[in-house]
Amino acid sequence: MIQLTVNGVEHSLDVEADTPLLWVVRDYLNLKGSKFGCGAGLCGACTMHLNGEPIRTCITPISTVAGQAITTIEGLGDQASLSSVQQAWVKHNVPQCGYCQSGQIMSATALLAKNTKPSDSDIDSAMSGNICRCGTYPRIKAAIHAVANNNATSSDDLFTNIMATAKPHEMEAK
Amino acid sequence: MTSLSNMPEKNTLNPSRRTFLKASAMGGGLMMTIALPGCATLKNGGLTQAGDTEQWDANAWLRIDSDNSIHFVLDRVEMGQNTYTGMATLVAEELEVDPETINVSFAAADSAYRNTVYGLQITGGSTSIVSSWQIVREAGAATRMMLIKAAADTWGIAASDCIANSGMVINQAAGHVQSGQQISFGDLAVIAATYSVPSDIPLKDKADFKLIGKYNKRLDAAKKSTGTAGYGIDTELPGMKYAVFTRAPRWDSELISFDASKIENLPGIEQVFAVNKPSAIGVAIVAKSYWQAKKAQTLLTVEWGDSELTNVDNASIFAQYEKDLAEDSGKNVRSEGDTQAALANAAQTVTTEYKMPFLAHATLEPQNCTAWAKEDGLEIWAPTQSPDMAQVAAAKASRYSLSDIKVNTTFIGGGFGRRINQDFVAEAAAIADHAQQPIKLIWSREEDTQRDWYRPSSLHKLSAAVDDAGKITAWNHQMAGSGVFDYFVGDAAPAQYPFMPKFMFGMLESAGKLGEGIIAPADGSIFEGANEIPYDFANINVDYKKSDSGILVGNWRSVGHSHTGFIVETFIEKLAQLPQVKVQQDSYQFRYDLLSRHPRAQAVLKKAAEKANWGTPLPGCTQGISIHKSFGTWVAQIADVEINPAANANNQIKVKRVVCVVDCGQVVNPDTVVAQMEGGIIFALSAALYGNVTIKDGIPQQTNFHDYPLLRINQAPSIDVHIMNSTEQPTGVGEPGVPPLAAAVANAITAKTGQLFDSLPLTLG
Repeated sequence: MIQLTVNGVEHSLDVEADTPLLWVVRDYLNLKGSKFGCGAGLCGACTMHLNGEPIRTCITPISTVAGQAITTIEGLGDQASLSSVQQAWVKHNVPQCGYCQSGQIMSATALLAKNTKPSDSDIDSAMSGNICRCGTYPRIKAAIHAVANNNATSSDDLFTNIMATAKPHEMEAK
Repeated sequence: MTSLSNMPEKNTLNPSRRTFLKASAMGGGLMMTIALPGCATLKNGGLTQAGDTEQWDANAWLRIDSDNSIHFVLDRVEMGQNTYTGMATLVAEELEVDPETINVSFAAADSAYRNTVYGLQITGGSTSIVSSWQIVREAGAATRMMLIKAAADTWGIAASDCIANSGMVINQAAGHVQSGQQISFGDLAVIAATYSVPSDIPLKDKADFKLIGKYNKRLDAAKKSTGTAGYGIDTELPGMKYAVFTRAPRWDSELISFDASKIENLPGIEQVFAVNKPSAIGVAIVAKSYWQAKKAQTLLTVEWGDSELTNVDNASIFAQYEKDLAEDSGKNVRSEGDTQAALANAAQTVTTEYKMPFLAHATLEPQNCTAWAKEDGLEIWAPTQSPDMAQVAAAKASRYSLSDIKVNTTFIGGGFGRRINQDFVAEAAAIADHAQQPIKLIWSREEDTQRDWYRPSSLHKLSAAVDDAGKITAWNHQMAGSGVFDYFVGDAAPAQYPFMPKFMFGMLESAGKLGEGIIAPADGSIFEGANEIPYDFANINVDYKKSDSGILVGNWRSVGHSHTGFIVETFIEKLAQLPQVKVQQDSYQFRYDLLSRHPRAQAVLKKAAEKANWGTPLPGCTQGISIHKSFGTWVAQIADVEINPAANANNQIKVKRVVCVVDCGQVVNPDTVVAQMEGGIIFALSAALYGNVTIKDGIPQQTNFHDYPLLRINQAPSIDVHIMNSTEQPTGVGEPGVPPLAAAVANAITAKTGQLFDSLPLTLG
């Protein structure tokens, strides 16, 4: 039996030791928010936190994280109580297909926990392990900056500021 | 029927309104049944006339329940393009409710809908808003009118004395005893359900739109930010098992034998068996967990039969295109003036031969499908762009008939055209049929990359005639490559044209019988965008020679435009760079003047030049310009690009900024348009910088994101999108951001170094 704490809940699991954490969480614990993308640690869709650090769980054997604390997207917040990062994601309409976004949000959350005011290049280095095939990168960047600025400004003001930069409302006259 | 991109033009729908709407009572509420147009040209497998609206195909509906909840069933799938919000917005505008109060669910391809019409429920071709713009608003308006009538009858006042607002009907009859009172939609629904649908359904004047053109929320954003949107791969059934499927390295090989002796006794392994259906050939492993099945797969040995692809590689494919094109130039798809004479008499001719690569879709959600075979039927849960083609694929791969198969759709983790081909559904159906228990089939990334239906590779020969004054007098374009139509018609026209497992001939024959280019529009998957070049030349000739590589091909975001945008706009740039042309005007003005017949194109191009400060690049950059129309939508892009030949090969070309101007007619959700342009640009930039599936010994060589790289955040440009204000009919936005991008980047490099490009991905020379 392997012990595991996921989102604060302790589990005792009868799983083969080499089973990747991703599949344990998805299929044994039925937490489907973390996604399978590549199986090789290349795309970041499976990102969870191990003791607060983002890890690629599709290549993390369960035996290597036994007894440790795992956080998944479900541990951050739900639709009724979004985390600050999730709120920024919704405000900026970040998701398109949305499949990568759990992983993106886990990486962004870990970044912001350590670096409350990341620069563009800090964001690039922290987030370059997470592929978004739909190309939501400009909004991911804007949303992370919004969370960073959120301490000083209300989220509504932030939305206006950021979206003014992105110009989504602008309708050009001919 | 053709590549999906030809659909909007062909989808002429002018039926009477009554044909589309029907009201009925349901559980104390009001149900409006509406038939949303599908792919009209493939109705009944493409064998009847397009636009046949006589038969009832009730595949979507709007429902007001007595608890005041509003339900809209979407017969399009949501794969990121935000049709989920767009359709709800159209309903909400006329129903006078907040779009957030509408519960959106996905339509099944239910057998109940299949008995009269075989209309394809394809989501593709950037058509959802285009084709549903009218009917969905009418459904909302008719429902509102009936609810108002119900209230007016209750109060004994005229309907004109009532208004609908936020899910309520309000009594505005001056002096009436109940003036100012209101009744909820939910309370009125049961009365409204007894009325027939009004014969005249006036729609709001554009000036009165409260939501259309303004609404900027994304209704699925919270689900997708909390991990609670259910994708195909998240499907969970009681007692469900996991399946992996081993396919031949070359898609046309037969299965000879397999050895499962090292697998059968492994923990969790339940079944190992061969599947031998024309559309699903391989060995299935069914296990208690995915990981058990996946591990066992590495110990399976399979003997495969011969393949006609064994000696096929990139060189042989392009040699075949060359040979076929040398025989004759194929079918003429555009002819104006006398191009041959103009070329023969030209002071100068300019030529380029282009080679375009195969491209993978690389949807981030790998192909997967869940299927449950029972005695009385087969139920499918699939992230598919074509639920009814999925139903056909499942029927062909199993013992079940169409009417015994139910297909449920889910959120989709990226489509881009990949999920129009239904191989993953066929496999899951066949596996479940054999296993007789619920199974979820999951493809690995490697399988997904190597068994894709690629954007076809193609060969293009362009020549232009230039006179001494620098005027372009003729444009000539010949091309060869596979057509994608042949590769999905098998599921589109099931009864008459079963999928053939053998190389190309069977399929070509089937496609010929179907009448591609006769009763169905020609397959434009290689030439679209090339035949429609907008530039004002006196002599234009464009020919397409079909030359099938034998490699699986399919619709890839923007289809033929994905390469013709690059080819036309880099060849135009080559002409713009001729000394006798360049001396007269720059690349922008050269295009602008030649677009004199297309005022909307000129306006888009002009706006792009203004917004990008054309002529004043960002520090360290040069600029490239490009414009292309696809799916009815004009898009101009200007890229500011920095090059660093000394960097490693993956970072030599740095796109710093893309300014994008789009004219897609009337906008429903401006932020969705911006998002689709951003996404299209980044999707296209991945292809422009890295996209290349190579074939060796008939086997696609790329496997995962290390050798088929996609753009990452540190490589993404800043993107500045501007939408032209327009009240013209809405046109597509999911795909048109893609075609101009590669040329804008290439042209920026040309401006810096003079290097001209004739292939992709872009490589500094």
